[in-house]
Amino acid sequence: MRPALVWLAAALLLLPLLPLIPWAFARGWFFPDLLPSRWSLAAWDYALSPAGGLLPALGVTTLIAALAATVSLALALPAARALGQRSFPGKGAMMLLVLAPVLVPGLAVTMGLQGLMTRAELTGTLAGVTLVHLIPVLPYATLLLAALFSGLDPDEEAQARSLGASPAAAFARVTLPALSPGLAAAWALGFLVSWSQYAPTLVAGAGQVQTLPLLLFAFLSSGRHDIAGAIGLVYLVPGLLVLALASRTLGRGLGASR
Amino acid sequence: MRSIALALALLPASAGAQDLLDLSWEEVVEEARGGEVNFFLWGGADNINRYVSEYLGGLLKPYEITLNRVGVADTTEAVNLVLGEKAAGNDNEGAVDLIWINGENFRTMMEADLAYCGYTDLLPNAEYVDWQSPAIAYDFGLATEGCEVPWSGAQFAFAYDSARMDEPPRSIEAILDFARENPGQFTYPAPPDFNGAAFVRHVFYEVAGGPDRLLGDFDQQVFDEVAGETWELLNELEPSLWREGATYPTSITQLQQLFANGEVALSFEYNPSQFGAGVEAGQFPETVRSYGLDGGTLANTNYTLIPYNAANKAAALVLQNLILSPEAQLEKARPEVWGAASVLVEDRLPSDVQESFAALPSHPSVVSPAELAGAALPELSADWIAAIEAGWIETVGTR
Amino acid sequence: MRRAPTLLLLAPVLLVLVPLFGGALLFGAARSLGHMPEIGMDGWSLAPWREVLTDPQTWRALALSLWIAAAATALSLVAGTALALGLARPFRGAGLARLLVQVNLTVPHLLAGAGVLLLLSQSGLAARGAAAFGWIDAPAEFPALVWDRAAAGTIAAYVVKEVPFVTLLALSTLASLGPGPVEAARTTGASRWQALRFVTLPALAPTLSAAGAITFAFAFGAYELPALLGASHPLALPVLAWQKETATSLTERPEAMALALMTAAVAAGLVGLVARARR
Repeated sequence: MRPALVWLAAALLLLPLLPLIPWAFARGWFFPDLLPSRWSLAAWDYALSPAGGLLPALGVTTLIAALAATVSLALALPAARALGQRSFPGKGAMMLLVLAPVLVPGLAVTMGLQGLMTRAELTGTLAGVTLVHLIPVLPYATLLLAALFSGLDPDEEAQARSLGASPAAAFARVTLPALSPGLAAAWALGFLVSWSQYAPTLVAGAGQVQTLPLLLFAFLSSGRHDIAGAIGLVYLVPGLLVLALASRTLGRGLGASR
Repeated sequence: MRSIALALALLPASAGAQDLLDLSWEEVVEEARGGEVNFFLWGGADNINRYVSEYLGGLLKPYEITLNRVGVADTTEAVNLVLGEKAAGNDNEGAVDLIWINGENFRTMMEADLAYCGYTDLLPNAEYVDWQSPAIAYDFGLATEGCEVPWSGAQFAFAYDSARMDEPPRSIEAILDFARENPGQFTYPAPPDFNGAAFVRHVFYEVAGGPDRLLGDFDQQVFDEVAGETWELLNELEPSLWREGATYPTSITQLQQLFANGEVALSFEYNPSQFGAGVEAGQFPETVRSYGLDGGTLANTNYTLIPYNAANKAAALVLQNLILSPEAQLEKARPEVWGAASVLVEDRLPSDVQESFAALPSHPSVVSPAELAGAALPELSADWIAAIEAGWIETVGTR
Repeated sequence: MRRAPTLLLLAPVLLVLVPLFGGALLFGAARSLGHMPEIGMDGWSLAPWREVLTDPQTWRALALSLWIAAAATALSLVAGTALALGLARPFRGAGLARLLVQVNLTVPHLLAGAGVLLLLSQSGLAARGAAAFGWIDAPAEFPALVWDRAAAGTIAAYVVKEVPFVTLLALSTLASLGPGPVEAARTTGASRWQALRFVTLPALAPTLSAAGAITFAFAFGAYELPALLGASHPLALPVLAWQKETATSLTERPEAMALALMTAAVAAGLVGLVARARR
């Protein structure tokens, strides 16, 4: 592809985000007007009011995504080490099991979970929603970290051990630093996967855990494109921040994972 | 100290379902004080959200009760939650304290024994309601039996844009003629959309020659006779519809969007106050006008319901009582707030509230409720409604 | 030197995934067999499955979902690979271009769907642009890309989301491959196309088939986008399942679960077949 085509493709990919901007500031915008006939901050006034609940939803969504990403990394690290550096019987089956939540559409799992979560009295709680988010986040975290581990030289940690370092110290001083760009990338990916969940939050949160996608869907489905635009723009920001912060590490991390 | 401990020990830790019904209203209020109430309702309208969170939430402040408005995309989500709790054996600590509900979801909750009942006499403001009136006593043909408290009245209305049309078609027959003469200018949302199904029922009534034969219990013979002709009529109409009937809008929102942008010439809504709210929010041009039909339009009442296992029943009762108060019903009726019709009997209200109701300004886009009420059609029972929806989907929608 | 037992290392992931994922599927399977004690359905029955499998709506929904997933996957793979090849070569502003392409990775599917709706509907921004140029006079003259039977809008939204995903994975594979193999092929007389056909694409194949499998499974089974952008008929499989799950008649819940399980089984089966064929 020539650079001109690359730029064109990038522009086409971003084009669907364009209408959100005028909509967030429009009050009455009908065909065939190319721009709103009246501009207004009414959508923001509502979204930022206590009834609109945009800021609490932003906080809840961020908290859940950060928790899901962090917990996933902690759970995935040991498994990733085994999958990345060891060969053992049943490794293929294990890989398949870890991948399953990505390859099996989530609706059946989500609908089945409702019953389980309610029995465990986790429905409608932050913890319950975070737990359910682990299902799609864990596979990505595990596989990304496994790829990282497979690229590491196990001898270096062994050398540190032979020089008298404890296993924990060897891991902390040798392995962890080598992993850190990849860890950042895995965390960012986990954050984004959780960040965009709709159906699992709807079911596990039972309406009581209001994340941004739930809020967005409510106003999209009631035709309030102005409020949906305002929520949508806010919904974009943390993802872009993560991308900006992680773009260098993410690139390096994914590069190193091969 | 010891006497307080003794008093605490004697008090029920949390009044169970039966206990609450034995209490006086003052005791219920005391029980509710300082607690919270989780009110589940459709969350897609900013004006309704504001009314609930800010106005009703404010009314609860003197009782030190916190109102948690839980916005859902579909009321059935709340029903499913209660159902799941029942399956899990959670019979006392349910997360849902109050649901905004009507018709089919009410039937579902009654079928599965999920409603808390028999408390309506306890509410002081119940005196303003005519519980015997058929519009209140039956929710889509099912007796409300003290399991539901009415919130608002609603009556179906159509809408057109006065800038693009001088005189709209004012009967179902005229609307169908308009559709045939103006290809692509009319459509309706596919059932099970609530409003689309209501439009189909209007056509069903038209074919049946009025609602009389359809009232009461489901009658398969009458259904088959009327349905056959109705589906034929609607199928023959398809080539004249928007996109030649190859697809229908999947929600009332899609229809409103088509209407607002001039893609279709007519629209409708079970709550015509939404046309006024929509104009104020910039969803519709200011020239939109809503209107009733000469042969009448469907009318119903929507309600609030407490699930049998609600954790905060006392607080839910306090909220229901406030919802029924003349002041809250007046505030809700203001066009700039919500524009939803009161369910209270006007002569029973304090005279100043009566005057305020009479003096309510009307929104130019909203047909006057009095004008609509002149020709109201009763709703069918839920069995009829389900059969009509299923028949449309099978015979018209997925043909 | 003592090592932690492998099973111990695997335990944390297994202890979360197996009960949640497996438990949910088991629970769902029970319900799809008509077991729903909360409404007095204590027995077991194949009736929900029979109902679902004999309903023509199911098969039309299956066909639509297969079409959506196949089209979205094919377009995403082709466009993503081409974009990665373009970005792999140095040019002025390549870093910025990479960053822009990655933006949609952070955009949730629902938001991409909202954007496609506001852009491509018959009264959307694209139609308004066409009207401004005098190409169309009325919304109906703009092609029906949204709420259409061919699901063009749904597919477009998936492509917008998945192209960056494919591009990023392909780029990292290209980076680890390095320019060496292609240069070697070129110096031994291969044309650019031959180098692409016999060196680059085979090197990319494992990455692309993994990305394709993930994209296919997601586009086949996700609810939000076809719900937002789809026609009233046919419905995508997950939308049909959810419609039954939120139907007012409780007896449809087991059928909803059967449809959801069917969605899961078909996707898993197809992905498994592809994996086997590649081996």
